[in-house]
Amino acid sequence: MSIKEITQGVLTFDAAKVKELTQTELDAGTEINSILNDGLIGAMDIVGKKFSDGELFVPEMLQAAKAMKAGLEVLKPHLSSEAVASKGTIIIGTVKGDLHDIGKNLVAMMMEGAGFDVVDLGVDIDSDKFVKAAVEHNAGVVAISALLTTTMPAMKATVIAVKEAGIAAKTIIGGAPVTEAYADQIGADGYSDDAPGAVELVRKLMAT
Amino acid sequence: MNRAIINFEQKSLDTIHKYSLELLHDTGIKFPSEKALGIFKKHGFRTDGEMVFFEEKDIQKALETIPSVFTIKARNPEKDIRIGDDSYMMAPGYGPPFIIEPSGEKRNAVLDDVQKFCKLVQTSKYLDFNSSIVVQPTDVPQETAHLDILLATLLLTDKPIMGSSVSETAARDSLKLAEMIWGNTDEPVMISLVDSLSPLQYAGEMVDSLMVFAESGQPLIVHSSCSLGSTGPITIAGSLVISNATTIAGICLTQLINPGTPIVYGLGGSPTEMKTGGYINASPEDAKHVAIVTAMGRYYNIPCRSQGALTESFCLDYQAGMESAMMLTVAALSGVHVSLHACGTYGSMLAMSYEKFIADEALCGAMKKLIKPVEFTDDAFTMDLIKELSTSGNYLMEMHTMKRCRNEFFIPDLSIRTMHNKWVDMEPRDITLRAAEILEKRLAEYEKPEIDQDVEKRLVQYVKERKGA
Repeated sequence: MSIKEITQGVLTFDAAKVKELTQTELDAGTEINSILNDGLIGAMDIVGKKFSDGELFVPEMLQAAKAMKAGLEVLKPHLSSEAVASKGTIIIGTVKGDLHDIGKNLVAMMMEGAGFDVVDLGVDIDSDKFVKAAVEHNAGVVAISALLTTTMPAMKATVIAVKEAGIAAKTIIGGAPVTEAYADQIGADGYSDDAPGAVELVRKLMAT
Repeated sequence: MNRAIINFEQKSLDTIHKYSLELLHDTGIKFPSEKALGIFKKHGFRTDGEMVFFEEKDIQKALETIPSVFTIKARNPEKDIRIGDDSYMMAPGYGPPFIIEPSGEKRNAVLDDVQKFCKLVQTSKYLDFNSSIVVQPTDVPQETAHLDILLATLLLTDKPIMGSSVSETAARDSLKLAEMIWGNTDEPVMISLVDSLSPLQYAGEMVDSLMVFAESGQPLIVHSSCSLGSTGPITIAGSLVISNATTIAGICLTQLINPGTPIVYGLGGSPTEMKTGGYINASPEDAKHVAIVTAMGRYYNIPCRSQGALTESFCLDYQAGMESAMMLTVAALSGVHVSLHACGTYGSMLAMSYEKFIADEALCGAMKKLIKPVEFTDDAFTMDLIKELSTSGNYLMEMHTMKRCRNEFFIPDLSIRTMHNKWVDMEPRDITLRAAEILEKRLAEYEKPEIDQDVEKRLVQYVKERKGA
């Protein structure tokens, strides 16, 4: 029953309650996978659906993600790559020359909420840094953001750099001036025009 | 004439200013530019890394040297524009990389679009200056796109221009091209836009271009705005302090470099769309900020700039009309001196449309008429005529009416005023199609303004060499 309460804690944005209940379940010997997937990630799946349906607003979705993270922090020391299969690691950042990050931060939060490990490099990131991080973290996806039309060429440079590094990571791009056509043009593996779409895209790409 | 429609209490304005000074003193503003930091340090400002801190006396000193009115020269002296006092100048959209076709399809903007919009600005009865970057062309190399844009603007129009502020190089190119026309840049021959990055900072390229224009004494619009609830507090008061502090910090730098550099104070504020986290800018909150900027401009005695005829819609529907009219009416009635994006934008400034441009022009014309002061001359009072006609008055028959019938009222080019049966038979009836007809006519009637052949050659040569380099 307590796993349902953990889910409820996330849905009512109560980080303190989620943290407490997660610790209780852990101490009681409940299987970690169950706490993580049914309690925490399961809650964020509900949040994601409510958000896509317009029932939850962005600030509410972000507070739910914070509550989920509070529970995740309790589990983290007990997680190992054998015990719990990670859904995958995503590198995300805003390209060189661009300082905008609101959209990128939203996407990063939603991907974390969906259970992915997210390494957020920040803003003004050159291709080398993206590639280095992807190699270091064995990333499944490199997510590249830009708001300025003048920095879009840096997206192309980053996509090429990732390909030339010979790693398995797929590339996805997004941002207000970016289009699906541009993604195709520069050889990116995917494009999304919003954060929920980016999560779905990553789910698909990680599965291949 | 005072067109104010928002009148904050003095104590509220003083509090905004007080908290701005507090932020500037305690938190600072980020200027990621070695040169700018050097200038601040030289004048004794406290810095910490890229953060700059301001004392009240620094701000006071800067505010004292800003002119409250100035003139920007045009290639054609008859088209010079005055900024300040009761003037209201309009320019079209600035920066969108897309075009929305009448079908609703979105496509990339190209250089041909820049040139077509130049021709529309040139033939416009209501637009006063070029935004230059009416659209961002995607079919030319991005590093030199500003050169293609400026060349088109200078050759195809003789109204005042905006300079390019995308980088220090672009700013210098803007000045170089202007020198070829005016011989020097001793007086204002362009105005350029520097946008801060909320909260509390500037991007390096913006600072670099600000410094180039200030050194040359060329006017700058220094603009800040928060997305309420994402790059600033959800409440207007808090976001106002952030934007005000950031704008006056940028203004302070211009006056340190060159006291007396003409400034236009820019401030906006948009609600974050809470369902998506997205940026929107044609809401009642945006319109409120159009009025708020005039309160701030009056407080500091600096001319001010607002957003123009914006809409979230992507077609010429009621939403486009309603939102554009709401934004521009507030600008007209509250005393804004400059409206950028006065014509042609859709979808939170992401795209331009030719048909929206034509429709917004009609709105601009109506606004200019709306704010024209009522005439109180003897000829306007017509006391003799009123007494003569008494109760038998049929003013339609009078010479006084005939003499003024073409100029007294606003005559719309696009709006219909007709009987219902005529409207039923109208072809085309759809406003988008009627706007498209006007567009075709305007482009066909366009004539390239005169320019000295040698000057034109030098402009073309400069751009060719710079692009080839």
